[in-house]
Amino acid sequence: MRKVLLLLGLPILAAAQYQSNLRITWIEPGSGETLPAVDEIENYLGKLGVIQSSGPVDTAGHPFFTPLGTNGRACVNCHQPAYGMSVSAESLRDRWHATGGKDPVFAAFDGSNCPDLPQDQEKSHSLLLNRGLFRIPLPWPPRNADGSQKPVEFSIEVVRDPTGCNLSPKYGLKSANPTVSVYRRPRPAANLKYVISGGQNIVLKTGMLADRDPETGRPVSMNLMSDAREPSLLTQAMSAIMGHEEASKAPSGKQLEGIVAFESQVYAAQVEHVFAGPLIDRDGPFGLGPAALRDRKAGVLGDNDFDPVFGLFDSWKGKDYYRASIARGADIFMFRQFWLRDATHINSIGLGNPLKRTCATCHNAQMTGQDLSAGWVDVGTNNYPTWTEPDTWAESAELPVFKITCQKAADPHPYLGRVIYTTDPGRALISGRCVDVGSIVMQQLRGLAARAPYFANGSAKNLRELVDFYDRRFDMKLSEMEKDDLANFLGAL
Amino acid sequence: MRLAACALVLTAVTVLVAQERSFLACPIVRDTKTVPCFLAEYDGELYFLGIQQDITADFHPPQLKHEVLVEGRVKDGPRVCGGIPLAPVSVSVIKEVNPGCNTLLPAEPGIEAPPAARGAGPASHRLREPAPASESLKGPQEFTVLYQFNDDYVEFASIGTVRRAAGYAMKIGASAVKVMGYRGTTVLSNGERLVEKDGLAEKRAQDIATLLRGSAVTGVTADWKKEPEPGDGKTDPSRRRVTITVIP
Repeated sequence: MRKVLLLLGLPILAAAQYQSNLRITWIEPGSGETLPAVDEIENYLGKLGVIQSSGPVDTAGHPFFTPLGTNGRACVNCHQPAYGMSVSAESLRDRWHATGGKDPVFAAFDGSNCPDLPQDQEKSHSLLLNRGLFRIPLPWPPRNADGSQKPVEFSIEVVRDPTGCNLSPKYGLKSANPTVSVYRRPRPAANLKYVISGGQNIVLKTGMLADRDPETGRPVSMNLMSDAREPSLLTQAMSAIMGHEEASKAPSGKQLEGIVAFESQVYAAQVEHVFAGPLIDRDGPFGLGPAALRDRKAGVLGDNDFDPVFGLFDSWKGKDYYRASIARGADIFMFRQFWLRDATHINSIGLGNPLKRTCATCHNAQMTGQDLSAGWVDVGTNNYPTWTEPDTWAESAELPVFKITCQKAADPHPYLGRVIYTTDPGRALISGRCVDVGSIVMQQLRGLAARAPYFANGSAKNLRELVDFYDRRFDMKLSEMEKDDLANFLGAL
Repeated sequence: MRLAACALVLTAVTVLVAQERSFLACPIVRDTKTVPCFLAEYDGELYFLGIQQDITADFHPPQLKHEVLVEGRVKDGPRVCGGIPLAPVSVSVIKEVNPGCNTLLPAEPGIEAPPAARGAGPASHRLREPAPASESLKGPQEFTVLYQFNDDYVEFASIGTVRRAAGYAMKIGASAVKVMGYRGTTVLSNGERLVEKDGLAEKRAQDIATLLRGSAVTGVTADWKKEPEPGDGKTDPSRRRVTITVIP
C-alpha cells in the first residue's frame, strides 16, 4: 500500500483516507466514563497519545465533565481528549449530524455565528462547522479587572459582517453593551505546565509589567489564550463557565480547583504515524509523545543547536521514507533560514526588519514550540493584505472585517500604519493598543493531527495549507517535497 | 605663529565635528553568507551601522518600512559590508511607516559581515543574561535608561537596568527611589533640529516608576522635565533618558 501511495506522489492526501475508519470518541458531559491513565486514539495521521499523569480519571461528577451552567455544556464539550484536548471541525460536523444540531456545543451564545440567528439551521453555525470557530464576544472598549474602561488608541468600524453579529442591534458594536464578536479556535487544554511557565515581571515584547495571577500575585506567562486576556487557569475556568457555559452563578472554589487540577495533569501528543509507525523511539528525538511532555522540564529555550525544541532527528535520516521525511521537516523547522519580515512583536522588538532566521526563532519553547516570551505576534493571518481570507467582496467571505483607525498621538501599527483592515484585532481588543492589532498569542504545536483546522481563525484546513501560508508569507522558497516534509514533521508532534 | 596655531586648532575642531554623523535615511539591508548587514546612505556616502544579532546585543538593527535616525561617529579603519563604520552608533526607528524604505540587497562575493556572536540559524550558546545587581554598589546610585528617539519602549537592555535598580533598592532597603524623565533634541549633520514630542518625558518617567513599583520597590516618586534637553549633534542619544536614583 505504501509503495502505491509513494508512486502516486500523494503521501499526505492519501493519509486523509483513514479518516473514515475512526472510532467514535466524543465524550458527552455527564457520561460518567473513566479515562484511562494512558490512551491512544486514532486520527487521520496515526494515533494521538493521551496521558492522565495522576492516574485514571473518573469523570462522574467531575467538574470538567459536568455542566455547571445553563446550556448543558461542560468544559469537555470543547476540550475533548480524542482531539488533543481541543475539537476538530470534522468532529463538530459529526456531532451536528449525530444530534441534529442539538449537542450543547452548538449553543446559541457562542456555538453559532450569532445568538439571534435561527438556531436550527446549519448555516447559522457555519463558522463552527466549517472552521471550528467559536464566537468570542469582547466588550468594547476593553475593561480592566475591576470593570473600569481601559484607555484605547484606536476607533473600530465594521466593514463587513457576514455573521450579522457585529451590526446586530442586540449583540453588536452599537448595542447597549457594545461588543466586538471575533471567531477563534479553542486551544488545547493539555500540556499546560509549558503554557503557563515562564512568567517574567516585565514582558520583553512590550517593556511593560506582565499581568499577575490574582491568587498568588506572581507574574504570569500571558501565553494562555489567543489574546492573553485571562492570567491563570483558574480565572480562565471561571470565565469559561460564566461565558461558554452561561452559568447563572459562579462555580465553587472546589469545582474550579478540580478543573485546574485535571487540566494540569493531561498530556497529549501524537504517538504513532500512519506510515512511519510508532514515534516513540529510544534512539530517536527526545520530544515526541505525551510521556516526554509529562517528564520534561518547562520553560526551556529550544532555539539552539545543542538542546533544540523537539530534540534532534538525525537518527531517523536515511531510514524509513516517512521517518526520513519527518526528520527533514524537523531540520527545516530548526535550521532553514528565511527572511522574517513585517511581523509585529518579532521584527519590532529590536531584532530588526527583516530578520534572517528560522521557524524556531519564534517557536522557541522546548516541547511546545510556543514563544517563551509572552507570545502575541502579528504573523499576518488576520490583517490585510496578508490575511488568510478572500477579498472583502467575495461571497465566500466568512469572517467579519473591521477597520481600525489609530489616533494621531498613538504609535501606529509598525508595518501597516494608522489604518488597518483586520478580521480579528487580536490582542488589541484587550490592550487597546494600535501596535497590537492583529496579534495573536502563539499556540502550542502538539497533537496537531487530532485537531484541524489550524491558526486561531481556522483558515488552514490541514497542515499542508498551514505550511503553504508560511511559505507564501515569508517567501521561504520551499520545494513541494520540503512542504510535505514540514507538514509531516508537524503531524508527528 | 599665533595664526598658525589658531588654524591648527580650527582644523582639529573641524575634523572632530566632521567625524560626527547624524541623519535621517532609509536603512539598507545587505545580505551576506552569514548575517545581514544594516547600512544607511547620507550625503552620497554609505555607512555601516551594524549586523543582525540577538536581542541581548547592544546594537538593535533598524527596520525596513521605516526611516532611521542615525547618530554616530566615523570609526577609523576599513569599510565594513561596503560602508564606512560608525561606532559608537545609535539608531532610532521612526515610527511612521514609509513603504519606500525597502532596499534589501543580495549577498555578493567579497562583501562579508563581521563575525557574529550568533548566526542566522539557531543559537550555538546560551543567551547572555542581564548583568546581576552589583554586589559592590554602596550609597546613593543612579541608573540610566536610554531610549530611541521619540520612543518610550523599554528595550531588553533597559529591562536589565530597571531590574538592577530594583534589586539594589530592595537590597539596601532604599528610603527613596527618584525617577526623573527627560526628552531630547537631536541636531542633524545638516543643522536641522529634531525635538522629541511633548509629554514623552512624563510618559517615560511614569512607565519606569510603574515597572519599579511592580517589582515591589517602595518609596518610588516620578518627576519629569517638561522642556527638551538641548542637543549638540554629538551626545544627543545620551539625553533621551530616565534616571533612577536610589537613596539609602
